[in-house]
Amino acid sequence: MERTAGMRAEEAVLRVRDVTKSFGGAAALKGVSADFLPGEVHALMGMNGAGKSTLVQILSGVLSPDSGHLEIGGHTPRNPRQARRLGVSVVPQRRELVMTLTVAENIMLGDLPTSGPVVRWRSIRQTARDALHALGLEIDVDAVAGDLTVAEQTMVEVAREVRRGGRVLILDEPTACLGPEAATQIRELVTRLRDSGVAVVFISHHISEVLGLADRITVLRDGRVTWSGLAKETDERGLVRDMVGRDVVSRRPARTAEPSEVGLSIRRLCQGRFIEDFDIEVRRGEIVAVLGPAGDAQSRLFDLLSGRRRPESGTVSIAGRAIRSGSIDRSLAGGLRCVTGDRRRLGLIPGLTVDENLLLAQDRLDRRKLHRWGRLAERAAPLRDDYRVVSLVRNPPVEQLSGGNQQKVLLAKWLGTGPAAVLLEDPTNGVDVAAMAEIHTLVDALAAEGVAVLLASSSAEEVMRLADRVVVVRDGRRVAEHRVDDITRDELIATTLGGALR
Amino acid sequence: MTTETAARTLPRVTPRSFQHAGLLVVLVLIVAYAGVATDSFLSSNNLINVLRQVSVVAVIAAGLTLLMTAGGMDFSMGGNVAVTTAVAAQLLAHGRPAWLTLLVSIALAIVIGLVNGAVVTFTGVAPFVATLATATLLDGVALLVIDGMSVSIGEHLSTLGNGRTLGLPNLVFVAVLVLGLTALVMRYTTFGRDAFAIGGNEDVARLSGINVVRDKLLLYGLAGALAGLAGIMLLSRLAASSPGTGGLQLQLTAVAAVVIGGTSLAGGRGTVGGTVLGVLLLGVVANVLNLLQISSYYQQISVGAVLLIAAIANLVRRRRH
Ligand SMILES: Nc1ncnc2c1ncn2[C@@H]1O[C@H](COP(=O)(O)OP(=O)(O)OP(=O)(O)O)[C@@H](O)[C@H]1O
Ligand SMILES: [Mg+2]
Repeated sequence: MERTAGMRAEEAVLRVRDVTKSFGGAAALKGVSADFLPGEVHALMGMNGAGKSTLVQILSGVLSPDSGHLEIGGHTPRNPRQARRLGVSVVPQRRELVMTLTVAENIMLGDLPTSGPVVRWRSIRQTARDALHALGLEIDVDAVAGDLTVAEQTMVEVAREVRRGGRVLILDEPTACLGPEAATQIRELVTRLRDSGVAVVFISHHISEVLGLADRITVLRDGRVTWSGLAKETDERGLVRDMVGRDVVSRRPARTAEPSEVGLSIRRLCQGRFIEDFDIEVRRGEIVAVLGPAGDAQSRLFDLLSGRRRPESGTVSIAGRAIRSGSIDRSLAGGLRCVTGDRRRLGLIPGLTVDENLLLAQDRLDRRKLHRWGRLAERAAPLRDDYRVVSLVRNPPVEQLSGGNQQKVLLAKWLGTGPAAVLLEDPTNGVDVAAMAEIHTLVDALAAEGVAVLLASSSAEEVMRLADRVVVVRDGRRVAEHRVDDITRDELIATTLGGALR
Repeated sequence: MTTETAARTLPRVTPRSFQHAGLLVVLVLIVAYAGVATDSFLSSNNLINVLRQVSVVAVIAAGLTLLMTAGGMDFSMGGNVAVTTAVAAQLLAHGRPAWLTLLVSIALAIVIGLVNGAVVTFTGVAPFVATLATATLLDGVALLVIDGMSVSIGEHLSTLGNGRTLGLPNLVFVAVLVLGLTALVMRYTTFGRDAFAIGGNEDVARLSGINVVRDKLLLYGLAGALAGLAGIMLLSRLAASSPGTGGLQLQLTAVAAVVIGGTSLAGGRGTVGGTVLGVLLLGVVANVLNLLQISSYYQQISVGAVLLIAAIANLVRRRRH
């Protein structure tokens, strides 16, 4: 392994040596070295907060290392512009589209075709359309970016970076919130780009995805490289050990009793073309999954159940009592808790501290008048422990946490409030293997306490691990329903893709 | 972008003075310069005069800090001051007792604030636009009330306006009390933290069970109340209400002080400590320029320059890393 790396290091387009980076006195990266070769997919792996995104920011010139060295084709970029000029394209973990501009404008941003001072709109739209088609995407170029689902936004951002071209393409968790179809598209694209000689840096928490796609893997733990080598030299177990330092097991618990009491029931819910005549019944202690392409149906369900939007028709009831629709207060008072799949827009308050975000909902439900910082820290501590929230300093603003840790804060914020029924929209989006196993255990425990859990997911694995029943939706309609025990993962994926009714 | 976000939100344990170190340095430099360049700046009479003047702005700025932290904006507080002074002056001039005057004018100020709040909350008109409109309207109303003339209140309210306790003007005590309470509310009450949440991300605030409509109405109402109080303070200091008392000039000074102090125009971030420094800075600069007998043209230019320098100095600390 060392030998191969040494031999080919000469050809590396991008090279970091002994890079160290600290935030406010605590080190996020400690002496990291890596080479990125053209025509190779190089995966970065590690637990939440290991330093992957920090390394990406250094590679793309956003952050400069405290010590150590970065080199792209013989040059050292000092800012993102220089890095871009040297051929580094990056899709950061925090999506950076301009939400008020159209898809076309976003794709062409910074590179608008003009004749003289005049912007050539026709050309913008055509080029943008071509860029999307090249990735096999059907997204309206005139749509406003803010109206797209997270999955579509990701695809637009990838399309933008790919169109700009370059020698290095960095993708920070591009598949974290995508359904299987979109994820496959991204992987195919990565393979194509690799074959054309681009050095791809790929970050993902899905081990099987990485093993199937990457040529080379570098594993980080607490800011240090714990393993680096060719993908074929390692396996799932080895990777987990290098990332976590121990084995991780996550198994479906045996559910003994058939749940019978009615929990959450949704009748004839309609919302435009996204949800049509949707019925579902989740009993207390049961976990029912709604599986479908990420975005449309899922995020509509969130809007309707949380009370953010009023459905065109239909009712939602908890334990037999109907909840007035379109009212956040009623929904919360009814015991319904909705965990969004879009934590940045609908989940957390970026500037408030981790502790405050953890207890934001609970304190309001308790109608607390005073904000006692000492008590707050005490009450937040168990939540931090249960959900393994890791931060460099004790209680930073939540925006300074790594992506996966923000997700844990979001889950803890809602699941800690004694719910009667919950909607979980892609709950382990961006979370590492160890934390995922723990979150799954926590959700199991929640169900065991008699909570009705509705899981809106785009991941078949997660559905197979957590759910008792699964409802497959497509274009807002249910196309199939299965007991999870009666179906294999591959059959389930086939149902989602083909919409085949059995 | 990331470096900025990284540093922008320091852990809240940082002492206030440290957080606004840049601003403090600018203030100290100006005070030092003023002490050397003029004989009178450091005289106790002058300093007390400065404090009396800034007290009024400080009370407005306190309300504005809280409101802007919640992502709101009230451009009509100066207009509100003008109306309150006018109404209070007329009441006193017509022989109504002080307590009634106080009650009526502050109640009126609260109503004005609530109307602003209702417009902003229920119609979705941008706060800036809505309150700029009310500001213009209120300036007109104030002129109507005093009929474009100066209305004197004689010796009424002079304990508040000219009295001293322990050698310090009573107005200063009022301002300190308001600032102190605002700081406590912002840090130690759920209502204050709600303001940060609403300013940080209103959707999330609403989904978290915060009663955003109620909070916003309260915030605008509070801004109105403080404008009313500032109006009474101003009236007590000037002993008369004349055309141009309060109004947009006062408003702009307060907004400038708050923004210099590091409160974000976009919401989600703000401290009373920063606002206090901003208020002092503007008050001292105006005073020094007067003492130096600089022509009003240059005064404007200098105030603008100081504003710019202070705003930049306040950012320096946040940009580091
Ligand atoms: N701007 C910042 N200010 C302070 N701390 C930061 C900042 N950015 C990152 N950190 C800290 O640095 C550590 C590494 O974060 P990083 O985002 O690199 O993790 P990651 O490996 O990408 O994790 P994830 O899988 O959750 O995305 C984390 O503990 C995080 O809290
Ligand atoms: Mg990351």
